[in-house]
Formats: sequence, structure tokens, C-alpha cells
Amino acid sequence: MSAELHLARRYLLGLRRRTHVATVTLISMVGLALGVLALVVTLSLLEGFQASIRQEIVARATHARVTPVVGRRLTDPKKLASVLQEGLGEVELVEVVRGTCLVSSFSDAVPASVIGRSDALDVGVDRILANRLQVGRGEKISVISPRQRLTAMGPLPVRVRAEIASVQAPEPGSEEGSVRLPLEIAQRLLWGDTVVEAIELRDTSDPWRLGARVRAVLGPEADTVRVDSLEDLHRPLLLALAMERVMIFVAVGLMLVVASLNLLCNVAMVAAEKRVDLAVLAGIGLPPKALRRLFLLLGVGIGLVGSTVGAVLGVGTSLLLDESGALPLPRGVFSFSSVPFRVEPTTVALVMVVALALAAAASWLPSRMVARREPAEGLRYE
Amino acid sequence: MSDLAQMVSLTGLSKGFGADDTRVEVLRDLDFEVEKGKMVAVVGPSGVGKSTLLHIIGLLDRPDDGNLELDGLEVRSLDGEARARLRNRMIGFVFQHHYLLDELDALDNVALPLRIAGRGTAVARARARELLEAVALSDRGHHFPDQLSGGEQQRVAVARALAMEPELLLADEPTGNLDRANSEAIFSLVCELHLMAGLTSIIVTHDEEMARKCDGIFRLAPAGETFEHV
Repeated sequence: MSAELHLARRYLLGLRRRTHVATVTLISMVGLALGVLALVVTLSLLEGFQASIRQEIVARATHARVTPVVGRRLTDPKKLASVLQEGLGEVELVEVVRGTCLVSSFSDAVPASVIGRSDALDVGVDRILANRLQVGRGEKISVISPRQRLTAMGPLPVRVRAEIASVQAPEPGSEEGSVRLPLEIAQRLLWGDTVVEAIELRDTSDPWRLGARVRAVLGPEADTVRVDSLEDLHRPLLLALAMERVMIFVAVGLMLVVASLNLLCNVAMVAAEKRVDLAVLAGIGLPPKALRRLFLLLGVGIGLVGSTVGAVLGVGTSLLLDESGALPLPRGVFSFSSVPFRVEPTTVALVMVVALALAAAASWLPSRMVARREPAEGLRYE
Repeated sequence: MSDLAQMVSLTGLSKGFGADDTRVEVLRDLDFEVEKGKMVAVVGPSGVGKSTLLHIIGLLDRPDDGNLELDGLEVRSLDGEARARLRNRMIGFVFQHHYLLDELDALDNVALPLRIAGRGTAVARARARELLEAVALSDRGHHFPDQLSGGEQQRVAVARALAMEPELLLADEPTGNLDRANSEAIFSLVCELHLMAGLTSIIVTHDEEMARKCDGIFRLAPAGETFEHV
């Protein structure tokens, strides 16, 4: 163990023998610990919510979508589907058309998204549309297309009357109501032909990499179609979540900056109080660089103790709140009953690294001041 | 270059403090030499620059002007790191106050210069034990400075000064804070160790009786300019 490490350790352990410095040091440690605790708990809370949102996306949304690069029709959807199914193995694959129609019930008529899917066997509406039309399972709705057909009575919009078989949760991020129809019915409504606009895929075993796998399977054919991965399909939402994490980290991290400024004052105070000791250490041969390292170690030591205590308390608090469900949420608003906390080890490590870096930065100035001082200055006025 | 028999050779030394109107010249154009193996007392009234002289010789401070050679080595051009290494290897200090580190026990205080020099903990502590035995404090190794008497603290400080087997011992009023009995005991100890280790020693003191026991006395006059060798 180097002399400066030995001394820094003894200064930290021995500070209890000097009440004044010990108190200020304790305050610095508590400040850093509180900063780290607040950051760990806040980020765990945020991660809890965001993980729930991501899980919901994975559970309900499309994981990859293949659409034409030019126009809206896929040129040979059957062949494309067969290539994908063969190349990807066990994945859910559906052919899709989408459009907007007027959907009416006995009481009202509203525009809504129409989604025709090859895996849909009956008609379903999402909760948003069901609420708007005041309809439920077993009731009938009419879906009226903007496309017209010529009849004896003149041109009339194409329409389908159907019974609602199910009411589903809306697609993640969707705010307009939607009606889900079997592919053939939707094709008739929107195109009047066997058109497929997109192939949508889901792979619950590895949803985030499905887009890349689809591109790999298609090979050169990928140039004629556009492949959107799960990340591409939800980019604005995922970007907003990432931004939220960064902003919260920065905002709550300011507590750590304040704690570090307090640490700077503390280390400077120790440097002033230990002026004679430092002169004596220099006198018996401790070089200026070692003196600088001694104070850096002292600051980092305080930072290490403070951030470790804060991290342990933060992780403990987060796990306790998550396990106990001590913060309940109103039913019906969220898909979970209490505030979720999720501790990410990498996040905790990052918080500790930032706390230690700030502690090192805070002790750098006093350590530089100490190293520049001539040893006799500390002895002259004694 | 000075004669190699000189451990300390100072020429044209000047040192002042403050700036402009408030500047005080403490030492002016001073020449000073100490032969190897001698014990020399530096005496003079308070404020005359005795401690400043000792700090400059001990590389704790830099002169405004003049040259200093330690055992033939010109030290003016040395940077802070080299001066620290030289202090560690060549010079032992005993101050008026013991200046032991409160956080370390007597054993660790004595071992500190050795640890700074990079010696292992076991080696440093073994040497520290020897030294504490030499100053008759072998049973007080694990006592902290505030658990030792004034005389014991100063004996530990003497042991620390000799830890690296220095060639030059600098003592700044080492008995200034002690009663008569302890003063005599510490001075006797310093003399004994000086002879045993073949040191060159410079002792700043107000005690004329003590000074007379040294090989030579340098009397620093109030003007700070004249230096009398007795």
C-alpha cells in the first residue's frame, strides 16, 4: 500500500478523532449518499414505468413490418410471405391492409381506422371506437368505405354490416378508434381487389431483433421493400422514453453536483486544518504529486463511502417499494396496481461512477492547491 | 564547487517575506558552512531568521538568492519532486512541536518516511520498532500522539527523523516546549544518536548551555547579515 493511500485511509478512519472535521465529512458523505439514493430511486421508478410500456409494446404491437418501397401494394405478397416464413421459422406472419372508413352504429357514426388482417376470423373493435359508438360485443356496426360502386340507384359507397365479436385494447400509441376485419372483407372495402399492403410479423422470443432478421432473410430482395423493425415502428415513443431518462438523470443529478460542491468545501477545509501535517509530510519527503494524490484519494474515499451507502439504500428502497406495492395506482388507468420499480445494475453503476467522478473533480482543486504550497508555508506561523 | 568535507555550504543567501513596502528581509547575503559529522548550534534572538535558515537548508523553502549545496550537490535547480526525494533520503527533521500525525500511532509515525520511500509495511515497521527501542519507547508503539507525554512525543519525533538513516539532522528548537529534565533527556538522546549514526546536525536553540555542548555555535545577529562562528 502506498504511503498516500495509507494516509488517506487513516485520515478517513481517524477523522472520528477530530470532531469538527468528522462532522463536516459526515455531512459530505450524507449529501452524496442522498444524491445517489434519490437518483437510484428515481431512475428505478422511471425504468419500472418504461419497462411496463416496452413490455406492452412487445405484447401487443407488430415487431416488424414489410411494406412496398413504391406505391401501396406489395407485388407478390404470397411469395414474400413464403420466403419470410421459410427463412424465419416460428414467427407470426399476417397480411394486412389499412385504411380509413366511416363506422356507424345505431347512435353515431365516426371515422375510424380499418385494419384487415389475414389472421382475423371475425370483426373486432378497440375500446376507443367502442366507447365512441357506445357499442359492445354482439352489437352491429356498419363500415362504410370512401370507395364507391355503381348500382341501379347510382354510385353508392361500399359498405359492410357486421356483428362485433370482440372489443380489444387499442394498439400502443393509437388514439383514433379502429376496427379489425378479416382480410378479404377489408380488401373489398378498401380496394375491391386482393391487394396486400403490408406483411406484419411478430416474434415474442426476440422481438427487438426481428427487423434485422427479416432484412437478412430477404437479402437483395430487401431493396424492393421497406422493412421497419420494432424500434423503427415506435421510434418517437422510444426516443421520448430515452430523452425522459436523460433529462431526469440530469435534473436529479444536480443534487450530486451540489453534494460535490459541499465535498469540495470539506476537502479544502481539511487541507486548511491539516496545513501543518501536510508541511511535515512534505518535510519527511512526500512529493507534491503524492500530496495531490492523497487529497484526491481523500475526496474519492468520501465519495466512495457516500455513493455506496446511497446506492445500497436506493436499491433497497426501490426493491422494497416494488415488492410491497406500497404506492398503489388507481385501477383502470394503468395496467399494474402499484408503482413499479425496476433496478437496473448498469444504471446503479453509472450513478456511482458519476458520483465518484464528481467527488474526484471536487477534490482536484484543493489537492492542486496543497501540492503547490511550499512546505515551509505550513510551518512558518506555527 | 565546495570542499567535499562540507555537508552544508551556503553562499550569498538572501531571503525575505512580503512585497513592496511590507517586505522584510530576514536573511541577507549570508554564507554558512557545516562540516560533515559536526553538530552545530544556531542561536540568536527570535525573528532573526534561524528557522528560515533551517527551512532553506532542509529544502522546505527556497531562497530569494544564493546557492546551497548539500554534500556537494547543488540543489537550486532541483524541482519539487527531486527536492522531496532528497529530503526523504538525506535529511531528518525534528521540530519544536512534535508534529506527529494524530491519526497514526507512534510506530506508524516513525515508519512513515520509510513508507514514503517505498519500503514495504513489514520492513518499515521493523525498522520503526528498532528506532522506538533506541529512544526507549518500545512499549509505546501502538499509542497515539495524544496518549504520549511531551517528552515521549518528542522522542518519537526524533526516531522518525532518523528512520531513513539521514546524513543531515535538522532540529528546530527541539526542546523548546519541554521542561528542563525532558529537554536535557532529548538533547542527550540527539547527541547520542548523532554520534552513533555519524550524522551532521544543525540545531536551532535558544538554550546557550545546550549550544555550548555542540561542536560549534553560529550566532545569527539581529541584522540578519552577520554570522558569528564561535
